[in-house]
Amino acid sequence: MDDLRRLLYQMADDELIIGHRCSEWLGLGPHIEEDIAFASIAQDEIGHATAFYRLLQELGEGDADELAFGRPAAARQNALFVERAHGEGSYLSNPNWDWAALLWRHFFYDEFDAARLTIAAQSSYQPLAQLAKKINREERYHRLHHQTWLKRLAQTAEGKRRLAAALPGVWAEVGGLFSMGEVTPSEFFPVTATSLWSVWATSVAPQLQAWGLLDLVASTAVASASVVAAGLSLQLPAPDQDGRLGHHTADLGALLATMSEVRNSAPGASW
Amino acid sequence: MFGIYQVFIQKDHASPHVWVGSVDAGSPDDALLLARESFLRRDPAVSIWVVRSEAVHATDYSDPDFFASESDRTYRLLTGYNKQNAERWRKYKKSLLDLERDFVQD
Amino acid sequence: MTEAEKLEQFMARIERGEKIEATDWMPDEYRLYLVRFMQMHALSEIMGALPEKEWVPRAPTLARKLSLMAKVQDEMGHGQLILRIAEDLAVPLGKTREDLVNELFTGEAKFHNVFHMPAPTWADCGIIGWLVDGAAVVSQAALLDSSYGPYARVLQRVCAEEGFHIQHGESICLALAEGTPEQRQSLQEALERWWESLLLFFGPADTTSTSAQVLLKYRFRTKTNEELRQKFFAKYVPRIHSLGLQIPDPDFHWDEAAGLYRYTPPDWSKLKLIARNQGPLSQERLGLRRLSYEQGEWVRAALMAGAQSAS
Repeated sequence: MDDLRRLLYQMADDELIIGHRCSEWLGLGPHIEEDIAFASIAQDEIGHATAFYRLLQELGEGDADELAFGRPAAARQNALFVERAHGEGSYLSNPNWDWAALLWRHFFYDEFDAARLTIAAQSSYQPLAQLAKKINREERYHRLHHQTWLKRLAQTAEGKRRLAAALPGVWAEVGGLFSMGEVTPSEFFPVTATSLWSVWATSVAPQLQAWGLLDLVASTAVASASVVAAGLSLQLPAPDQDGRLGHHTADLGALLATMSEVRNSAPGASW
Repeated sequence: MFGIYQVFIQKDHASPHVWVGSVDAGSPDDALLLARESFLRRDPAVSIWVVRSEAVHATDYSDPDFFASESDRTYRLLTGYNKQNAERWRKYKKSLLDLERDFVQD
Repeated sequence: MTEAEKLEQFMARIERGEKIEATDWMPDEYRLYLVRFMQMHALSEIMGALPEKEWVPRAPTLARKLSLMAKVQDEMGHGQLILRIAEDLAVPLGKTREDLVNELFTGEAKFHNVFHMPAPTWADCGIIGWLVDGAAVVSQAALLDSSYGPYARVLQRVCAEEGFHIQHGESICLALAEGTPEQRQSLQEALERWWESLLLFFGPADTTSTSAQVLLKYRFRTKTNEELRQKFFAKYVPRIHSLGLQIPDPDFHWDEAAGLYRYTPPDWSKLKLIARNQGPLSQERLGLRRLSYEQGEWVRAALMAGAQSAS
């Protein structure tokens, strides 16, 4: 597989899996207006995944739906960060989930996605460059949404306590987003993990600072990490824990089983 | 309180209040009277709202990405389905197409 | 003006077909029944999101995943629109949104019978979108000329969006009807599961309940349960038949002379059980809603803290 296809799989799989996870919250949000607002973000992510799978389809990789639903976990190239279950229970019963963790996940992810899309918009592969430009416009609302909420929650003692409690679990795998797996910098995507981290950290750190959350995040970051940008250190995953290389958790296996349950009930059928 | 008041007119009970303009007025009560003469010299209405301009929070015209809607959203529109559905129904029974399909109108 | 004179004028307005607005004088009875009705409508939309949201993670294609998410999001949106106007009307009763939602958990407020039922297959999800939403539009379209202005206005938007929901549900059902024998079979079975609930949806034909009479008196609603049920049959029975599906009632037929459909009455006692939250999934769905509501309490508290510090 070439670098372009690998890159597109990374982007498509990230968007599909985070969109799927986000959709599990549908109808369970803490506030009705907010439930509606977050539901648009889930739709956007699935919509973006669809667009990336279509690019792969045009490159001869097969039907977009089949790429989304039919590939086993070992073929998936999303980061572990997006596949983790929200917590105990499921979307069907006793979802003992944490909205603070959801906000952190989406704030970090959408900042990452915007940074990645900004670079993809300069790709020599025109279909990708054009798509990235379009999609990145929609990230504006996502980022504004997460920013507004984090700022608001950080203003209350209970909100800050919840954010602090949720942070370590989310932060532990944030570095995995930046792994490029087997993709090497090229005309398709001309940057490395460390420079992508710099772009991200330079955007994230001042925001956290403004909300009084930077110390919290910086102290959660691992001391042994090799790359530090804007006070935030990057810890890339070990190769055998790198989702970009097809190493995944049981959470993804369970997610894929759920996602393909109906589709597999009548293989090859039209839905 | 003297200031600028934004004016919203409801033309009948089936319609929402719609912004029509603004007036300079000394108080909310003044603004209601002035709005009546500024905006309702001809058209009928059932209600006026006036809101001090300072109370209006707005998006920024210089940030068009706030409204970005770049992905295909036909999946959430009637038009994303009705043509294809109609073609499928045709296969079942031609006469069904003659049935009134607009549920809201009746 | 005495209370009696106010009431007389109010009823005269109702009879002239005038709209009542939130700030108008109104008898307590009107306010109480209206708040109760809109509260049930709003909570039904919010509870109605649950049976379908169960299928979002399992939707079989990207397009279906998107359309189902959008549909469930709209239901939550309808809940929001209606809850907001119910809140406005409930202010003189000393009730907030929190109170209106909490009454769901204490059993004081009901939600619609169909949302107490299981949706065990993807075909159920199609039938809900097509026929349950179809039934909902029939009953909501009849409320578009409701005497309460804010509700009538909100329903214009709700009904317009329901048009998309029905097409979405229809699209799922058409694909199953055209599919493999197993897919067709699952659609037939889903119809059989939902048929009785669809009849129950409109309520008993000969209802003499106080609430129905009060709502008719104030022209909050203007059509009877049976009129609406017949309207639903007229819209959907020809379509159900043309897909080759069997209505699970051997006595179901069109009575030419009477000009209406004849059907085996459903077991009306089930409505009473459901009203006591003793339907098949009443407790599970309420439990899920209660848990998520309790878990979100700190988030709502943070929102309110923000509102206080801003003012």
